[in-house]
Amino acid sequence: MNTSADLVTRVCQGDADAFRLIFERYSRPVISFIYDMVNDRAVAEELTQETFVRAFRAIHTMRAETKLSTWLFGIARNVARESLRARARANTHVDLADKSVMDLSDDKPVPVEGLLSKELNDLIRRSLAALDEDKRMVFTLKVLHQCSYEEIAAITGFSLAKLKTDLHRARAEMRKKISPYAGVGYEV
Amino acid sequence: MKCEVCRELLEEYLDGELEPQEREQLDAHLIACADCSESFAVLMAEQEIFTRYDREVEVPPFLWTRVAAHTVSERGAPKRSWLAPSLTGAIAVLLLAIAIGVFYKLSRYKAPDLTVATTPSTTASPNPVRESVPSAVPKIRKSRPRVKPVTAPPTADQSDVLSSELAYLDMDEQDTAKHIEQSKMLLRSIKNVQISETDDEIDVTYDKALSRRLLSENVVLRRDAEMKAKFPTKTLLADLEPFLIDIANLPDRARPQDVREIKERVKKTEIVAALLDYQDRGANNR
Repeated sequence: MNTSADLVTRVCQGDADAFRLIFERYSRPVISFIYDMVNDRAVAEELTQETFVRAFRAIHTMRAETKLSTWLFGIARNVARESLRARARANTHVDLADKSVMDLSDDKPVPVEGLLSKELNDLIRRSLAALDEDKRMVFTLKVLHQCSYEEIAAITGFSLAKLKTDLHRARAEMRKKISPYAGVGYEV
Repeated sequence: MKCEVCRELLEEYLDGELEPQEREQLDAHLIACADCSESFAVLMAEQEIFTRYDREVEVPPFLWTRVAAHTVSERGAPKRSWLAPSLTGAIAVLLLAIAIGVFYKLSRYKAPDLTVATTPSTTASPNPVRESVPSAVPKIRKSRPRVKPVTAPPTADQSDVLSSELAYLDMDEQDTAKHIEQSKMLLRSIKNVQISETDDEIDVTYDKALSRRLLSENVVLRRDAEMKAKFPTKTLLADLEPFLIDIANLPDRARPQDVREIKERVKKTEIVAALLDYQDRGANNR
């Protein structure tokens, strides 16, 4: 059996292959989540490595009732936050809430279809980066990773009320940025 | 259900987070209300856009190799104990206490004052060794008072310390004690350096190389302390790190003012005293 719980047990028993399976299963969502948080591919790779190294070292402390993905995302969240703090301290943080993001809201014409996908991806990436850290985390986990509120609360340590508020505000901010692409001038 | 209530709940409805009863009420309202139904359609469209978001981020093939090098290849298995974690911790603390005790005992039988300068072939003097050089060339201090750290010499090439393999060595309490001791010696060495007005450059090659190695260890130990919730240790190592970075970043022949700045900061912040205090408090208080 290769359920997550089985894999954890096997890793604790010294089965190296089991840890590799965990990596194969979760490295993609983890690197995506970290990338959403730090907006830098090389840094995301490095932090994904750090996440799995920490996970390996601490896997025997994981409680049986904890979901492996939630636990891994929790570590990834800590690793990403540490990195963001360090970058902020080192003044290397790039403010991605740049003019091009703002310019794409509301009145701009919708780009032609051929450019849509690339531009939209770029717009979402930059708009995510423009959110504050808590909102970005909650939005990413819910909308891009389809975590439940309960899982998000476990990963972030936020209360249900805070995460709902942050998520609502994040959606509103993201909506402003992507509204030209949604094709409707709407209010929710 | 009123439209205001419906709109408040729409996002939770979309997220599948409503209780069954609320969901049914909202289902019914959406069938009956065109405005709310349109709002929901917009939310769905928005969700669809985010679903199509492609970060163009892949897991690079080398990443597993790197992770494995620091996990399964390094140790085979995580340290799952045949002892209870608390007992393992107690033993580690006991070992650290013994190590510190032994070290302290040994150090008392060595030179009476570790901070006093010693040079390889001369007796120590209050005014330390400085080579005579012609006045036409810049004066470079070749040697200066330095405590001999209890350490192996640094490895040859340490230019990549920040990404070094050292960064993931499995270190235990004894390593932390040793690291603190070596760092303390290094900082004392910097603190005691004599800088003359006539010095044009100061040779810090050895200190720099040592600092780079200690910096690499420091990063690992600090993270390790954090992981294990040893916050006093983590705080101390975090305080130490800027000094190691500054020394590691000095050129081999540093400007006197740069060395003086670090020296003054070591004095002002009393980091050496903090390291000493940490050692004195012993393992039981950590």
